Amino acid sequence: MKRLPRGLRALADCAPIDDDAACDRRMRAAISRAKKRKKDFSRQQAFDQAMAKLVKSTPVPAEIAEWFVNEKLAEGAKRSWRSTAGHPAILAIGIALAVIAVVVWIKFDEQMHTFPGAAIAKKLLTVASTTRVSQFGPVKADAGTLTDLFVMKYRLEHYDVPPEFSQLRAIGVRVFDDDEAGRVAQIGVAEKRMQLFLFPARRDSKTGQPEEFQGWRFLEQEGWTAAVRARQGVLFMATVRGPKKDFAAYLPKE
Amino acid sequence: MTGDAAKAQEVFQDTLREAAFHSANQEPPDRYWFFRQARWRCLDVTAQGVQPEVLESNLADVSEHAPEQIAHLDPEQLAIWISAAPDPQRSALALFYLDEFSYREIMSMLELKLGELAHAVAFGRREFQAWLNAAVPAPAQ
Repeated sequence: MKRLPRGLRALADCAPIDDDAACDRRMRAAISRAKKRKKDFSRQQAFDQAMAKLVKSTPVPAEIAEWFVNEKLAEGAKRSWRSTAGHPAILAIGIALAVIAVVVWIKFDEQMHTFPGAAIAKKLLTVASTTRVSQFGPVKADAGTLTDLFVMKYRLEHYDVPPEFSQLRAIGVRVFDDDEAGRVAQIGVAEKRMQLFLFPARRDSKTGQPEEFQGWRFLEQEGWTAAVRARQGVLFMATVRGPKKDFAAYLPKE
Repeated sequence: MTGDAAKAQEVFQDTLREAAFHSANQEPPDRYWFFRQARWRCLDVTAQGVQPEVLESNLADVSEHAPEQIAHLDPEQLAIWISAAPDPQRSALALFYLDEFSYREIMSMLELKLGELAHAVAFGRREFQAWLNAAVPAPAQ
């Protein structure tokens, strides 16, 4: 008869007295193999059962027995979910998870709303907040008609103001060079003191094609909001000092 | 564990008093707290009393007649025998034959490894069988 491996032999030595007692998988395996390979295992079980029976027959003094009339007295108090939730370690873990979730959500939201040229648009949003009316060359025309000016005077093709903003009255215009954005056309508008920007779309480094996107995208920064759209390799950006809803009158509902 | 009902009762009362104190201070003891406390108190009480004579342990293989031999014993005899065993064998045998805990729970309560618990129980069986053979001779074949 083969000897049991050391680990299983140790488990078999501690085998539960009652065969039906709940035990883990390793113990069940040890018992099963001990029954086959350990010749005195059945004697051990009979010995243990007789011992346990003798222990159970130990008389309990009346003074002690009366404590167990209501056994719940000796039962450890269970933690309620409130006291568990209020434990400092659980609270700390909960707060940490909440902060992580918020950061992940913010990053995810940023990724969802970002678009090619967003960094340049943010930079120009800062320009909008610092530009004074006196910096514009004065004009008195609809913003949509300035396309010809850009083509004829500055040779900027496709610098078209979209129909949504083309009817706004322009009060000033300027064209300047920016290190990152390239040639930027900036239009001052009387209504809501909006400013409109037109600048080249970012180009793909491999194909050289302008990176475009569909529909209007929005940016918010230091109390200013921008609505951006790409068309024919040129980004159009309308900026206003206020919330996104200020564009509701001009843009189609999403 | 103590081999003396009066000492055991005293240990029980003291442990219960401390459990009540813990509960009153909003620190509910865990499930094994009571047994751990009672064990240490038993060991403390027995360490103060008269110590059993240290004898060379006799060992005998577990006999097929052991259940009949054990049936002839009084529970007090078993209690006295276990209380004379050295710890942690004493605690291991007491908790094992109480038949309330799994081997993992006993290991956790006594802070023993599996090999140590197995040795304590298996050695205890053989020692007890040797004592049993002397105290209650097995019926003739």
